[in-house]
Amino acid sequence: MPRGTVGCGCVIDMTATSQEPAGTHPPGRWGGIRPWLGVVARVVLAGVFLAAGGSKVGDLAASGRAVNAYRIFSYDVSTVVGAVQPFVELALAVLLLCGLATRFAAILSAILLILFIAGIASVWARGLSIDCGCFSKGGALAAGQSPRYGIEIARDVGLLALAAFLASYPRTPFSLDRRLLGMEAQ
Amino acid sequence: VSSRVSQKQAKRQANMVVRQQLAKEQRRRKMMVGVGAAALILVAGLIGWGVYSGQQPTSFATPAHATSNADGLIATTGPVSVEIYQDYMCPHCKEFEQSAATTIDQLVKAGKIQLVIHPVAILDGASSTRYSTRAAASAGCASDGNKLLAYNTALFAQQPEEGGAGLSNDKLVQIGGTVGLTDASFGSCVTGGKYLTWVPHVTDEASRRGLQGTPTVYVGGKKLDEPSAASLTAALAAAS
Repeated sequence: MPRGTVGCGCVIDMTATSQEPAGTHPPGRWGGIRPWLGVVARVVLAGVFLAAGGSKVGDLAASGRAVNAYRIFSYDVSTVVGAVQPFVELALAVLLLCGLATRFAAILSAILLILFIAGIASVWARGLSIDCGCFSKGGALAAGQSPRYGIEIARDVGLLALAAFLASYPRTPFSLDRRLLGMEAQ
Repeated sequence: VSSRVSQKQAKRQANMVVRQQLAKEQRRRKMMVGVGAAALILVAGLIGWGVYSGQQPTSFATPAHATSNADGLIATTGPVSVEIYQDYMCPHCKEFEQSAATTIDQLVKAGKIQLVIHPVAILDGASSTRYSTRAAASAGCASDGNKLLAYNTALFAQQPEEGGAGLSNDKLVQIGGTVGLTDASFGSCVTGGKYLTWVPHVTDEASRRGLQGTPTVYVGGKKLDEPSAASLTAALAAAS
């Protein structure tokens, strides 16, 4: 190899590493669409957590009562969970929206959603009649109102699928991760 | 030839070192981002806890005729306890109060029940002025004036619409006036918000007991499945 290309070779090698490694780059349309599906997942999850946290953050005592309505924790533990949860949901929404630590945020979302599903399933199994308090103050349902546990669980399962997708493919456009970590992020 | 081979090897090695360093730098950055994100979540949770703790009143004044742990107001005395958990903003509480009023009146006059009113505030979100809490606090003022039961009935009769501004403090004072709470101390108790910090205590204790919604009625310590005049009478017959 002529001497003149030594430095150039190094540059070429670096360029190669900064591009997506061969083999993991999916060819065809899927490869083009997948990062954008990731953006959609981020925005949808962020929107849900923003709405959920925002609806509860104004009345933390009510949020604690909503947790207490599940009759899983003691009242004192419920008040702590009820106070912490809305703020965690809002912070999580910020991470997802900015695309910061996307895989971490996606996994945390999935964990939260699994806990929500478990909570609703447990209430359903025990035959309690409550408002899930997902986007509201929760509590018992008024007489004549019937719970919609099936729909609530189906919704959370759908969101869980989005979170799992995002955890598997956290590389998305318009993300701080891409800014901070480059194209090779995650 | 041998020098060319070693030159190639040196180049390959240099490339490897650069790549390893880049990978190391990348890992370091990733970890920093991850740690930062985890810290953000943790701090958010702590803020939530802090805000909630800060909102909890540290002390409160207890109205006259309160129960021993200050979680309710004893309206009348008698052998069997009837405990009503209610929110002045709750339409079903109004329905219960109005449908059971005659029955309760008779029981009270016959001295058969110890009636305890627990004015909780779980529907503060249903008015722009925290009417639930203000109305419950004013019930404490009415208890001070020995007119709780009459005031209770009058307050439900004038229950405001959900989603509005609720009744003003002046209006509450005026309603008190219609049942004989004409003393200036009632007015200053309501407008001065004397028992506003007592209401969260009532609500907390109710939640601790397992309150899921209002109205909730206990007769002789046993919860009624569906609060109504009929179920109240039946439970009393069973209890006495």
